Amino acid sequence: MAAVDWVRAQARKESLALLAPGILVLVIAFLFPVGTILITSVLERTEDGAFELTASHFGKFFVDDYYLKVAWRTLRLALVITLATVIFGVPLAYIMRRAHPALRFAILLTVILPLMTSVVIRTFGWLVVLGNGGLLASLVAPFGVTGRSAVLMHTETGIVIAMTQVLLPFMVLTVLGVLQGIGRDLEEAGRTMGAGFWQVLRVVVLPLAVPGIVSGSLIVFALSISSFITPSLVGGVRLPVMAGSIYQSIGGSFDWPFAAAQSTLLLAATLLLIIPYARLARTP
Amino acid sequence: MTGLAPPASARLLATALLIFTALVMLVPLGVVIASSFSESQFLVFPPRGFSFRWYGEILGSQAYLSAAWTSLRVAVIVTALSVLVGTPVAIALAKSSTPGRAALSGLFLSPLVLPTLIFGIGLLMAMSIWLGGPSIWGLVVGHLVICVPYVIRTVSAVLSRADPQLEEAARTMGANVWRRYIHVVLPQCRTGMAAGAFFAFNISFDDAVIALFVRAPGVETLPIRIYGQLEFSPDPSVAAVSTLMILVSAVLVLLVDRAIGLDRMA
Amino acid sequence: MAELHIKQIGKSFGGVEVLRDISLHVKDGCFTSLLGPSGCGKSTLMRIVAGLESPSTGRVIIGGRDVTVLAPERRNISLMFQSYALLPHLSVSENIRFPLRMRRTGSRAEQDDLIAKALTLVQLEGLQDRMPRALSGGQQQRVALARAIVAQPEVLLLDEPLSNLDARLRTEMQVELIELHRRLRLTTVFVTHDQDEALTLSDRVAVMTNGRIEQEAPPSDLYDRPRTRFVADFLGAANVLELAREPGTLAIVEGQIRLPDPPRARFIALRQEDLELTRNPEHFDHSLPVQIVARVFLGGRTRYKLDVEGLTLFAIVPRGAYADAESGTHVAWNRGAIHPLSE
Repeated sequence: MAAVDWVRAQARKESLALLAPGILVLVIAFLFPVGTILITSVLERTEDGAFELTASHFGKFFVDDYYLKVAWRTLRLALVITLATVIFGVPLAYIMRRAHPALRFAILLTVILPLMTSVVIRTFGWLVVLGNGGLLASLVAPFGVTGRSAVLMHTETGIVIAMTQVLLPFMVLTVLGVLQGIGRDLEEAGRTMGAGFWQVLRVVVLPLAVPGIVSGSLIVFALSISSFITPSLVGGVRLPVMAGSIYQSIGGSFDWPFAAAQSTLLLAATLLLIIPYARLARTP
Repeated sequence: MTGLAPPASARLLATALLIFTALVMLVPLGVVIASSFSESQFLVFPPRGFSFRWYGEILGSQAYLSAAWTSLRVAVIVTALSVLVGTPVAIALAKSSTPGRAALSGLFLSPLVLPTLIFGIGLLMAMSIWLGGPSIWGLVVGHLVICVPYVIRTVSAVLSRADPQLEEAARTMGANVWRRYIHVVLPQCRTGMAAGAFFAFNISFDDAVIALFVRAPGVETLPIRIYGQLEFSPDPSVAAVSTLMILVSAVLVLLVDRAIGLDRMA
Repeated sequence: MAELHIKQIGKSFGGVEVLRDISLHVKDGCFTSLLGPSGCGKSTLMRIVAGLESPSTGRVIIGGRDVTVLAPERRNISLMFQSYALLPHLSVSENIRFPLRMRRTGSRAEQDDLIAKALTLVQLEGLQDRMPRALSGGQQQRVALARAIVAQPEVLLLDEPLSNLDARLRTEMQVELIELHRRLRLTTVFVTHDQDEALTLSDRVAVMTNGRIEQEAPPSDLYDRPRTRFVADFLGAANVLELAREPGTLAIVEGQIRLPDPPRARFIALRQEDLELTRNPEHFDHSLPVQIVARVFLGGRTRYKLDVEGLTLFAIVPRGAYADAESGTHVAWNRGAIHPLSE
């Protein structure tokens, strides 16, 4: 008898055929390169030309004060940037949810346009704003702030400002997604039960928005520890972050196994953040 | 807006926040655009005078033109391949009969959140070790992996609103597998495919990170050219190129909005 | 047009049996309803007939051809979906043309002709160039119907097609469906959970529960002679009573009524219309003292909720008998009103 579920079997075959090109791309462009990094990070060429397993590339990172400082700076900057996106992004998302559609669209456009612009151009803009003889310097000059203190180029503050602009959309859109799931009636119910505007925000909206804020923070943090162009152009060589250090190992010192080891650490840190993010994102 | 208006203090704070955000988000782009019309040799703010001379400069520059041509070629190929690969994946992920959908969708979308830098370095290493060095195809492959997820997302967004019974309906009306896809499934994906294509083009055209690692000697994309200039001696010609690229991005954002609505990307 | 044989169909999803040994014969041109609560397996059975699910056991035969393992697109059937499943990017006439186009039926001119006829049948002349989203729910429903009948399917399957319409439109469409079926005589399977709809429309009704067909009969038979407790209960027209077991006889409400000739069943059905409220119980075979708990006015009739020492009974009383009913002290019936039920 027809015990075989031919309908399901055919549907699966169809799904597999649809997924095949995507899987091929993942293998060629994702697993193969990432695999190469992982392998390179743990191999060492011996004198007779053979390869053997080693942890020395990772060791190099952890014993050198310089690299630990780089790692610490990377994490510290990411933390401050994440905090900044929370402080600005969460109220912004709330305003967007309440705003008139036209205003809402204007905010959306304002937030997304920089995101869709090339990172080099965005950073270029910051160089002009923060640099020597830049917009900021000429704005504060009349108040007697001149010289080094008026120039945020090559400072961590500069990096934080420039990075916050880039990563704010991720926070705003993530929190907005969660806020939209909270019925307006909840807020109105809060108000009818005698809570004031700020109180409702504190006891109704904010607690419900927490999952969105957490997943927004995770994504902003993950993107910020791996960012390269903005920190390296705004921060310059004196303030290297992980990504810059990896670039230096590849193009400067040609120590690819060490670059691979640093990349592996960066990837591991990202995955550590992304896995809880994926969990949160899946359970709305 | 319903009743229960927020108090004046909240309105004031909100207005201040909006103005501040708009400044932080848009001023860096604004200064680039303003600088591009400067008359002076140097990048200073506020820009001096007004001229189109830097636009003339870049249009006459072989280096910029060939970089633009490279970027355009790569972006077009990447866009076409992304739509070709991403659309069927999104269709499969929308089917309840696909096993392990949640895990698969996580896997396919993961390049959105993993460091782009890693793909660049990995491709550079893989190509150098096994393929004798980077090439323009490495760039295409590298862009593909970060662009396909956008197509998957936009097409999924459209399909999530589609009637899942349409395919079954088409089958009961006699449509075989090809005709089902051509006449029923793909027409529903159209807007998502368009939005995904605009995204893919924009991502590829704007990418500097992968291109920085995976570039064949002597091959330069526009963002790489700009990056190089910024590292050394930026002059207003960089601002002129950047302005044109901002224009391209702005047009693409508006096209995405026309296709599926920016709201849907939240 | 053809007859449909469903032979011993069984279906399990991951170890859960949703259909068990279902056999059903729908004669050529017959309108049969599958009636049951949600989750009873009626939709799965219909999807198996359409080829959208495969049965675990058994076979489906349409017009003498075994189609059990044939893909839906190669069966000559039509299915009208609850959501209508109109193709949003095609106009009304292109939607109706779709099955003709896919099956390569006739020339374009011949197709136009069939489309025009179908549009007339569902009274949508003049709307052929509209897009589906520009139509009201009722109009979309008619387009779906036109699309389902235009290709002259061997079997027409309707999956709760009226459930998305408001009450007035639904009654209107019921009448039109009857008209349409009288004209076209398509072999039709109609899936519904609405007993009134099933009884109004069908030549035959198969009542399903728990993956089985409980009873398959013409509507009047089903109504007058429900065979099982579930059928009597689900059709909602009868009081289902459990009989208490006593040596030798069976009684309703222990000690109150003795049935001289007790049925062997544990359950009996007493139709609501067969119960009367009266002051003269001696005119009936059986009676019980009763109190009226509530009454629901149903237009030409009134439905009474009655209490017989803790047992709830319902009775339906026609307009002319209100006065008697209101002063009634007993609920009473004659022997013929008792239908023994199997479980």
